[in-house]
Amino acid sequence: MSPHVQSELLAAYAGGEIEGARAYSIEAHVVECADCQAAVARLVEPARMQRGWADIEDRLDTPRPAAIEAALGRLGVPGHLARLLAATPSLSVSWLGAVTVALAFAVIAAHESERGLLLFLCVAALLPLAGVAAAFGRGLDPVFEIAVAAPFSSVRLLLLRTAAVLPTTIALAGIAALTLPGVGWTAAAWLLPSLGLTVMSLALATYVAPSRAFGGVTAGWLAIVVFSAIDAGDRLAAFDSGAQVAFVVLALGGGIVLALRQDHLDLGRTL
Amino acid sequence: MSASLAAGLSDEKLLAAVAGGDRQALRVLYERHAPWLTLRLARRCADADAVSDAVQDTFVVVWKSAARYQGGGAVGAWMWGIAIRRLIDALRRRPRREFHSSERIDVEPSAEEQVLLGVEHGDLAGALDRLSSELRAVVQATILDGLTSREASRLLGIPTGTVKTRAMRARIQLRKEMA
Amino acid sequence: MTLAVKAAGVHKRLGSTHALAGVSLDLGDGITGLLGPNGAGKTTLMRVLATVLAPDSGSVRLLGHDPADREARPVIRRRLGYMPQEPGFHQRFTAFEFVDYVAILKEMTARRERHDEVRRVLDLVGLGDVAQQRIKALSGGMRRRVALAQALLGDPRLVILDEPTAGLDPEQRLRFRELISRLAQDRSVLISTHQTEDVAALCHHVVVLRDGETVFAGAPRELAEVARDRVWLADERSAGAELSWLTGDGRHRHVGNAPPAHAELVEPTLEDGYLLLVGRGSLAVAA
Repeated sequence: MSPHVQSELLAAYAGGEIEGARAYSIEAHVVECADCQAAVARLVEPARMQRGWADIEDRLDTPRPAAIEAALGRLGVPGHLARLLAATPSLSVSWLGAVTVALAFAVIAAHESERGLLLFLCVAALLPLAGVAAAFGRGLDPVFEIAVAAPFSSVRLLLLRTAAVLPTTIALAGIAALTLPGVGWTAAAWLLPSLGLTVMSLALATYVAPSRAFGGVTAGWLAIVVFSAIDAGDRLAAFDSGAQVAFVVLALGGGIVLALRQDHLDLGRTL
Repeated sequence: MSASLAAGLSDEKLLAAVAGGDRQALRVLYERHAPWLTLRLARRCADADAVSDAVQDTFVVVWKSAARYQGGGAVGAWMWGIAIRRLIDALRRRPRREFHSSERIDVEPSAEEQVLLGVEHGDLAGALDRLSSELRAVVQATILDGLTSREASRLLGIPTGTVKTRAMRARIQLRKEMA
Repeated sequence: MTLAVKAAGVHKRLGSTHALAGVSLDLGDGITGLLGPNGAGKTTLMRVLATVLAPDSGSVRLLGHDPADREARPVIRRRLGYMPQEPGFHQRFTAFEFVDYVAILKEMTARRERHDEVRRVLDLVGLGDVAQQRIKALSGGMRRRVALAQALLGDPRLVILDEPTAGLDPEQRLRFRELISRLAQDRSVLISTHQTEDVAALCHHVVVLRDGETVFAGAPRELAEVARDRVWLADERSAGAELSWLTGDGRHRHVGNAPPAHAELVEPTLEDGYLLLVGRGSLAVAA
């Protein structure tokens, strides 16, 4: 073949009319010849090439999903919601790391004494609450002002974040509970309280400012834990079966209140 | 860099710019090479979506690995190597049946036709054309496109063993013709 | 044509401060400048107009709706763009990721279209090339532009920009002015600023706040007129002068009554009018 391919031949090649050995010769030439490459470029439909470039650009721009986001995607969460949830402060690696450390210390304490076990149960019950409270925190979500001014319902975002944070934190606490020394069912005595406290705090947050709701519930419950331990002479009195039943009732009741009054969680009003 | 500046640069210089994160340089490389790559890939695979995915993937790979280009002047060949392997990958991601190539199902030319075609002994091009399309596809993949037997088997959708036997048959037939 | 904003008698207390003490404001199409010293209530007013804060009393209508109505708020917010004074960013985000995040909050769920829109606004503010850089690696001026870009997502009808030119150098401020003036057609833009030159260059309507009250609302020309016959140039500073400063050409400019001896009356500028209205406390701003 001559140093350059004639334009008719290239056009025929581009049209799919050249085959076999002649096509191979053309290809072997084009791969190294800038002029023929340019000639081919003129023969291919530009709109198709532009679409291709737009696709490539979008591929390069699309942020690489964080681990949380990918995990949520695999669970069937739509892409845009997964993106929003992945930005939740209490789902970040640093937060979850802090939770793990706190649980580890609590487990160590639980191995030492019954007082340590009480500490573990309190920590495990309150960590999910803390995670949810953090989703409300203005200080922790820097995009707060812009988010409030956006049409996506802040309440919906909050509840979605709660739905993501709760199982995650509870799962971590659950794993930690498995490493407790043989205490039987007591190892899970924090589960119902954590759910009940969280739901109650959210329900209360439809009446008062979130910080007051979460703070108040936490302080109130810790006071009950201390008093009941002293009163009954049993350190774990606040976790006995009566308390578990009470928390089921509180969780259900709080859930109903929350469902009815969820719009009052709209932060724009309570800022 | 600006589009007009980029348009005047050699492929090697553009690659160096791409390694530095210059998207305009990548765009010019795309405009230069995506068309012929698309055509060449389309002759190895009838699935147009797989071809456009492969071209897209190729340039994303170029974006990420431009710094690893060693030089030596053969930017086009480097890109083709990436592209054909991206096509294999794209095909692997899709459920598919075997096909040979995008060429028509060939009928062996009769003896008269051979004479009419003016074929002579020692003519490699003619000998290639007389191979059946299955054998020719294997020759194309392993010799012209430089794929390994395993890569060729993935591209063509046939077992590796079949690739090897067809390559051997092709070699035997070509040798006979060229003798 | 409906006004984008109609606010009357807006009050808002923040803690013990009476941040807004009966502010009224009407906003039509085009660019309106909101001037006022620190603590005048500009940011509070903007937050109220951006539906971020609820006023204690007064009537507010945004884009024809009442933000106190829970159902109306998303409707307003869909056509609203807001750039806060101190936007927070997730530090680990790139510029693209941040604007993409806000775009999701603006209910753009389809990924490809959303990304196209993110690219559009980033190109609009001139950040197309650095879109993939982390925000913490960007300069202050670039970060402001990221904040501006997110406010422009979805082509909003009402755009509220709180101190958008703070921290920008003159060249950036010029580019910003060009950008905003292009946007202003068929849109209402409210800009708060300390820079009277921005207002003079951009705005066809000006509102001046002081201590939570509106002390002026009208055209920039009219604001300058407030200082008619009250602006003087002299060779020396007048003793006991309130608003008097040394200008670049070596003479003293004096705004107010009681001019110094041998003073020359000059044409008032917008800045002179503004200074006269807000008093001596703002002299530091004018320097």
